[in-house]
Amino acid sequence: MSLVDPPVAALALVIGVDIGNSTTEACIADVGDGEVGRLASSLTRTTGVKGTPDNTTGAVTAVRRALEATGRPAGDLATVLLNEATPVISGLAMETITETIITESTMIGHNPDTPGGDGLGVGMTVSLDDLTTVEEEVPVVVVVGAGADFDDVAHALNTAGERGVDVVAAVLHGDDAVLVVNRLTRRIPVVDEVSAVDRVPLGMLAAVEVAAPGRTIRTLSDSYGLASTFDLDAEQTRQVSPVARALSGNRSAVVVRTPAGDVTDRRIPVGTLTLSGAGRSLDVGVDEGADAIMEAIGRVAPLDDVHGEAGTHVGGMLAKVRDTMTDVTGQPASEIRIRDVLAVDTLVPAVVRGGLAGEVSRENAVALAAMVRTSRSRMQAVADALSDELGCETIIGGVEGEVAVRGALTTPGTSVPIAIIDMGGGSTDAALLDRDGTVSAVHVAGAGELVTKLIDSELGLEDRDAAESVKRHPLAKVESFFHIRHEDGTVQFFSDPLPPHVFAKVVTVTPEGLAAVPVRGPLEEVRRVRREAKRRVFVVNALRALAQVAPQGSLRLLGSVVLLGGSALDFEIPGMVADALAPYGVVCGIGNVHGTEGPRNAVAAGLVDAHAGMVAGPAPEKLQRRAAAS
Amino acid sequence: MTAASDLAASGSAAPVDSVRTLALNEVGPAERGTRPEEVVIALSPAFGDPFTKTIVDVPHAEVIRQLLAGIEERGGVARVIKVYKTADLAAIAHHGAKLSGSGIAVGVLSRGTTVLHQRDLARLSNLELFPQAPLLDAEVFRMIGSNAAQYAQGQSPKPVPTRNDQMARPRWQAKAALLHLKEFECIDHSREAVEVEPVITKVD
Amino acid sequence: MTAVAPRAEGTGASLTTSKRTEVLEDRPVNLDGFVEEWPEKGLVAMESDFDPQPSVRVEDGRIVELDGRTRDQFDFMDTFIADHAIDVDTCEAAMATESVEIARMIVDPRTSRADVVAVGRGLTPAKILDVVKLMNVVEIMMGIQKTRSRRTPANQAHSTSAKDNPIQVAADAAEGAVRGFAELETTLGVVRYAPLVAIGLQVGGQVGRGGVLTQCALEEATELDLGMRGITAYAETISIYGTESVFVDGDDTPWSKAFLASAYASRGIKMRFTSGTGSEVQMGNAEGRSMLYLEIRCILMAKGAGVQGLQNGSISCIGVPGAVPGGIRAVAAENLVASWMDLECASGNDQSFSHSAMRRTSRLLPQMLPGTDFVCSGYSAVPNKDNMFAGSNLDTDDYDDWNVIQRDMQVDGGLRHVREDVILQVRNKAARAMQALFAELDLPPITDEEIEAATYANSSDDYPDRDVLADLEGARSVMERGITGIDLVRFLERAGFGDVAENYLQVLRQRVSGDLLQTAAVLTGDFTPLAAINDANDYAGPGTGYRLTGERWEELKKLRHVTSAENPEEEVV
Repeated sequence: MSLVDPPVAALALVIGVDIGNSTTEACIADVGDGEVGRLASSLTRTTGVKGTPDNTTGAVTAVRRALEATGRPAGDLATVLLNEATPVISGLAMETITETIITESTMIGHNPDTPGGDGLGVGMTVSLDDLTTVEEEVPVVVVVGAGADFDDVAHALNTAGERGVDVVAAVLHGDDAVLVVNRLTRRIPVVDEVSAVDRVPLGMLAAVEVAAPGRTIRTLSDSYGLASTFDLDAEQTRQVSPVARALSGNRSAVVVRTPAGDVTDRRIPVGTLTLSGAGRSLDVGVDEGADAIMEAIGRVAPLDDVHGEAGTHVGGMLAKVRDTMTDVTGQPASEIRIRDVLAVDTLVPAVVRGGLAGEVSRENAVALAAMVRTSRSRMQAVADALSDELGCETIIGGVEGEVAVRGALTTPGTSVPIAIIDMGGGSTDAALLDRDGTVSAVHVAGAGELVTKLIDSELGLEDRDAAESVKRHPLAKVESFFHIRHEDGTVQFFSDPLPPHVFAKVVTVTPEGLAAVPVRGPLEEVRRVRREAKRRVFVVNALRALAQVAPQGSLRLLGSVVLLGGSALDFEIPGMVADALAPYGVVCGIGNVHGTEGPRNAVAAGLVDAHAGMVAGPAPEKLQRRAAAS
Repeated sequence: MTAASDLAASGSAAPVDSVRTLALNEVGPAERGTRPEEVVIALSPAFGDPFTKTIVDVPHAEVIRQLLAGIEERGGVARVIKVYKTADLAAIAHHGAKLSGSGIAVGVLSRGTTVLHQRDLARLSNLELFPQAPLLDAEVFRMIGSNAAQYAQGQSPKPVPTRNDQMARPRWQAKAALLHLKEFECIDHSREAVEVEPVITKVD
Repeated sequence: MTAVAPRAEGTGASLTTSKRTEVLEDRPVNLDGFVEEWPEKGLVAMESDFDPQPSVRVEDGRIVELDGRTRDQFDFMDTFIADHAIDVDTCEAAMATESVEIARMIVDPRTSRADVVAVGRGLTPAKILDVVKLMNVVEIMMGIQKTRSRRTPANQAHSTSAKDNPIQVAADAAEGAVRGFAELETTLGVVRYAPLVAIGLQVGGQVGRGGVLTQCALEEATELDLGMRGITAYAETISIYGTESVFVDGDDTPWSKAFLASAYASRGIKMRFTSGTGSEVQMGNAEGRSMLYLEIRCILMAKGAGVQGLQNGSISCIGVPGAVPGGIRAVAAENLVASWMDLECASGNDQSFSHSAMRRTSRLLPQMLPGTDFVCSGYSAVPNKDNMFAGSNLDTDDYDDWNVIQRDMQVDGGLRHVREDVILQVRNKAARAMQALFAELDLPPITDEEIEAATYANSSDDYPDRDVLADLEGARSVMERGITGIDLVRFLERAGFGDVAENYLQVLRQRVSGDLLQTAAVLTGDFTPLAAINDANDYAGPGTGYRLTGERWEELKKLRHVTSAENPEEEVV
């Protein structure tokens, strides 16, 4: 050992802070002589809209947390590195674009859980009270109002039958069909739970059909079946064919023949989108559906701006996105451009207008996600506030996409060209680092929030929290108090009985335990909806975004694709995206920043690395940075 | 219309214009059932005899009739047992659940308090509990029967909407205590549970 | 709903009912339930032939006979009371004193509180019952006035939310505190929300008035955990019962409850037990004793366990004594006995009691007029529909009535009229403090819209819905991260609510000093503990004891609308 230690380059405590849309991450390290000794990282909720002074609070929290984890005093901190974050505002809207209308109470097409009897009965509608005065031998369909007792109803029908009245079917208000049929001397089809039974027209010819359990009706759901039942000519048959279509797949139905009865499928005008780009402007009706909208967007690519018709939901949503950005940046609304829109077709359960039993039909709807981004960042204000608060210098450096790519490149097994995808709540971000060191980045509209919304509406949950839980966690079916069957078919046993509120339910398997999903359908249906929603948003957007950064727009020319951010931690999204990219020969996987951090901390760690490179002089692979115009 | 308002609206039209009486004819000792879809209705010592109606005057005949109707409408089958050794609702229902072919039982006290139980549950747990007897009418008993049958068939019915009324305490708490004490009087520690056949007679 | 529908026999005129009867039938009081007594089963307030006769026998410094039962016949209540609650040295002498003599000592202002308490130490449950049975309701009130532990009466509030909204709880706690409640209590609909709601109660309380004490009623383990972390300041809902069979039904014994009490005491946390007439008969296990006899057993059990106080006055079983003859007299008597046994008494009036406003008020007077340590052990500081304790005898709609009754009678019921601007200011500040604290804790953000709503709200309907799932996740993380009161103080300080942090810290410091373990301890606005030891009740007849005079009386003269004497065209502000 020499008496004097060789001079050591002074170590400086440096912290990289990445302010994202929803989370703020920090990575703290000792930096000196090009060496980086990472000490700790931290994560907190982003305060305010990304890229605005409100971020300071969250950034300070993240710094404090990281410092606490290292046990070093704030005074030791030499430099805070901030990413150049720009505000991104996203919005969501959903419009139902079709509607089923029943006029003159022509039909009852709902599916009560337990209709009674089976077969087809055709006769004149008559109220229970008038049954005593009906002529003998006339076939009648008895309409029973609210409050009637099943014993009394059965007794009245039997008495009428004994008198010679030909009771061929019944329609009930209460949930009594099986009870009534079980007490009849002659078995007839009975449809129950018809909430607006008082609106069934009386004295009209009607047909009631009930299929055996597990079957669906055959006659009333078929145009010629209706024609035979009601003795219709060709023109009349053409008119009633929508009724037949509307009833197909039901286990029970009632059709009443009235002079102007009809079932129509109507398209609801919900306004137009005005898309501008490529030097021209194009109008597309929202009710034309997602494919038409996306095709129109393709025709004006690259999109410059989008406007919605005033007074419509979509117009309102777009205006709100613009207003929020104005509030955040102070930029005039006229300068804010909506640069991307994602439209997705969906089906939403809607109550049929004119229905007598609260019938629900699955109507077409379009969900739209829009995104606006601005170059006007106010990070300098955040940096100044941070310097004041922490008493050290704060440097803004690195555009998000670039730094993130650099962080992602520390994932073992990756190489240039490398692309990243970060799917957040409101937008999906992609960036590419090319062989020549060029970085290009895009942000496209639509991400986690849209998926939650699709799940919520398609399952008819009307419960955002439940939809969120379905999105995030795998499903299982509780088969007994002691075992569940996971969605992959594996069975898990418990030694203590499960809580009663999940008994026999479809549940999500969450870290806090099982949570019941408020649906009556089978697990497979929930799973299909969940995966389909993710596919239509995450997979579609991953491909869309990558295509925009890929060399010559060709996915085949991408080398490695690394998934970053919270969505990379999802239990199935990485697999779905990887599957979608596999045909292009792309290696796709979950980021593992520095081989230890997983998909988190890419930007924060990237900032520290870049800083260390600068401190140490020219980096081995000197990067030419260019912020790509998205 | 919400389920709760639905109840309120139709509750007034509850069928009580003609009176029905209930006789519980003893069939034999209560034994374990074998039918996998079976629901057991387990009644407390004073149910039907000496008491004939709940705390809010719903006739016991109607309670049984509606529970059975709810089960029948859903395609289920039911057996009725009467328990004499305890007046504790959880114990009565749990006893019923252990005898039930499906493991599902409805326990009912004379004053109307009702619980849906399952044999694998701890005694003090339950599937659905209806603790406020003054709020249970014929419609609610029908829905309880319907849910019991669905649980027995391995389905997951929507729980019967529970109602709550803060002012039930001043009106009913003492009467409930009184009825509870009377029910206790009818406990016969030496008498095993029996299966009964409910005979409901309409009296005009 | 069934319970509020008019009685069938009350509808429609017939030949057998007069129009006046119809009017009377429609009076709200006839929606209340009343039942006949059944003393054999314990459905009787306090006068029953089936209660035991007083007796005591001491052998070798040990009580071997208690109220007609010898030690081999003791149930565990008898054993606990004989071994821990009754003073063996004085009991034979005390028991030899005529009951009527003891009753007169209680009422006679010339007999000091200390003497009355001293004789009480040697009495058995049956003897205590024998004494209070001799007293009418006015004499009982006289007794409460004298035996109350703390000189200065106070009041306690419920602050809950039908949506378990922590911001609502904070805002209503702040308003409650500024209106004068010394203690605030909350509970939950969804239990998992507890940490956030308990934090809301604590923070809101300290915004309204520094030194307010808070608690969160939950199952015992979680309640203790929140107390030990310093998120709550005291505990109250540790229930005890008057018969062994009811205790056993709840898997408990007097010793297990005493052990729980010691767990609180070990951390310097204030706590009291809860009991009340009617609970045993309600569960069908009264063992043939009157409601008051069984409640006296509870009071002695609490005393024997060494807790500083008791919440009693029937509490959640009020419908039972309320329905039998003399029941409300018995409820007043149980408050008297708790005070006489030298315990802090939080005296009920905390559950929905009657459809009749007149009856609600009369039920309140035996506690409000003489003053108790807490007149209500839960005045609903939220509208009753938000009250997760199933409604109280009084709620926010009654604030002005309460203030007027205080002024009419010149009694201090612990509340005061507060100007609107002050109320809005504390509500707003409580919500903002919560917003800042939630941000510091990484909990789901509280929006400015929510703060605006909290400032002006009446009930939970007036607040935007929160993301319940995210809140529950946040609540879980608060527990998992091991967040304590000190963390909350630090975050409040950091977020710029230094004064609130300071108030909270002062409350936490009481843990170390142990001052809140003194009987009937509360904190004044300047954090002076006020308890039986330094604010002892010195009532000794007219002109003595706590008198509503001076500055406090001037404060209570203020109402929402008082015409100015100086300028009758204006109101006093």
